[in-house]
Amino acid sequence: MKRSLVVSAVLHALLLGWALLKLGAPETFDMANSEALPVEFVPISEVTQIQQGDKKAPVKDIAAPVPTKRPDTVANAENIGDNNVDLKSPPKPVEKPSNTESAAAPKPTDNPLPDPSDKPNDVKQVAKEETDIADPVPTPKPEPKPVEKPPEPKKEEPKPEETKPDQPTPDEQALPKDVPVPVAKPRVEKPKPPEKKPTETKTADAKAAEKAASDKKKAEQKQEQAKSAASQKSDFNADEIADLLNKTEPTSGGAKRSNKEVAFGGKKTTGGEKLSQSELDGLKGQITDKWTYTAGLEGAEDVVIEVRFSLDEGGNVVGDVEATATGGPSSTQNALLSAAKRAIRRAAPFQGLPPEKYDTWKDVIVQFTVADLGG
Amino acid sequence: METSALAAATTDVSLWSLFMQAGFIVKLVMVGLLGASVWTWAIVIDKSVNYGKARRQFDQFEQVFWSGQSLEELYRSLSERPTGGLSAMFVAAMREWKKSFERGARSPIGLQMRIDRAMDVTLARESEALEARLSSLATIGSAAPFVGLFGTVVGIMTSFQAIAGSKSTNLAVVAPGIAEALLATAIGLVAAIPAVIAYNKFSGDAGKLTARMEGFADEFSAILSRQIDEKLAPRAAAQ
Repeated sequence: MKRSLVVSAVLHALLLGWALLKLGAPETFDMANSEALPVEFVPISEVTQIQQGDKKAPVKDIAAPVPTKRPDTVANAENIGDNNVDLKSPPKPVEKPSNTESAAAPKPTDNPLPDPSDKPNDVKQVAKEETDIADPVPTPKPEPKPVEKPPEPKKEEPKPEETKPDQPTPDEQALPKDVPVPVAKPRVEKPKPPEKKPTETKTADAKAAEKAASDKKKAEQKQEQAKSAASQKSDFNADEIADLLNKTEPTSGGAKRSNKEVAFGGKKTTGGEKLSQSELDGLKGQITDKWTYTAGLEGAEDVVIEVRFSLDEGGNVVGDVEATATGGPSSTQNALLSAAKRAIRRAAPFQGLPPEKYDTWKDVIVQFTVADLGG
Repeated sequence: METSALAAATTDVSLWSLFMQAGFIVKLVMVGLLGASVWTWAIVIDKSVNYGKARRQFDQFEQVFWSGQSLEELYRSLSERPTGGLSAMFVAAMREWKKSFERGARSPIGLQMRIDRAMDVTLARESEALEARLSSLATIGSAAPFVGLFGTVVGIMTSFQAIAGSKSTNLAVVAPGIAEALLATAIGLVAAIPAVIAYNKFSGDAGKLTARMEGFADEFSAILSRQIDEKLAPRAAAQ
């Protein structure tokens, strides 16, 4: 027995020694060669709604706009193009991409240069007359000034092309220097004088006041005319605001790069305008959860119930729940209608509706059949 | 301590490091099971040698016994050296026979009974020797898996405690502790499976050898009974 025990121990020792030496750590799983399989959860709305692409390209599985050639430079760019700046204007075939983004000055500014006509001048006269009005208020000697002024407008008229805002101020400063008395008064704010005028002008000079008032009205009218004329002149188009704001040539669209083959799609990917099927099913599911369905109603499988109700932002039902039923016997219809209304009342407030899409689920219209209720 | 063991486990998962990382109880269980395995194989080697020897002896003895050789001569040749198995039974029966005749047996029935007793005692002794330590094989075969399972449960318990401490359920953190714990069950099974197989085999072998001895005892008893009748009948007739 002793001998066999020794033999057994030796055999075990040998086996263990072999196992420890040869059966080291098992080979680790080699993860480097296996490629990770990316799994993406895509809401159905991304498939059903318009994807960014090209309207003229043939339909493919994945919508893609015309491929761009330059590498990506602007993060989160929205508009397709080869630019370095994300412009909203559509891509046009121009040789060079634009590197700057600048707001455009309105086009009409170029027009007044050739004809120094009355319209821009009128606008200036309005400003000037206001200063005139300001002067007669404090001093009872407004008469000499209108006399002196006639030469001044003549001076201004030849200069309309030069800097416009600077001119009224030299006039204001020049007038008080001629007349020593009203030094501090020209600085008085303009809105006040017209109020004081009617009272004081009656005592001093009714004519001057009337003249000033009529001039002012005229000036306002002219100003309005000038404005409307200017707006009429510009080729303003609300659809192309981005183009108007952009002084630079709309060369080749935005800065979002596309490297896929061109395929049919919209100008932009529209998202979040409709409730996705899953969100709609979720809403429906919340109602059916609360629906206590009484089995065995006659002809229940033929009834289709349509419910309409409004929701507020919190998912609460606002106002009455309208429910209409079609098909099946009327007694069954009535039973199911009242059950539907009860279910909606109990299911509110509804959960899981995306707040950013409130406009789409503000008014809910859902249809139910008995199959939806598991009946 | 457990967290450091877990950290080390991520680098080395060989058998030896698994054993060294194990806790005290698990180590004890593993060492005990290893000892059981050694003991099992010692018994297996011992029994297979012994049984083979016994079978060969039986064959040799039966060949000699049924060769028509005189029983007296056979007894003389066998009684000189210690024997086991069939020859031991033969020697015991013949010794009883000789003693009875040397002192002059009175009753043939009493003599027959004494010879049977002597052979029964020898048979019991011999079969006991054959089946010795088989029970320990049975014990190891049935208990070793449970002991290994105990080690595994304790190991997994401690490794889960370590996981709770490290606050990470990463599989790389969990795996070494569980592998270490499972090693205990593996050793238990390694000890138990040969033990069960060997127990079944050797208990069957021992049963066969015992049956062979019983058959010989009956046959030899019948032969001696005939001899008694032949030797005592003329004596009774003479009286």
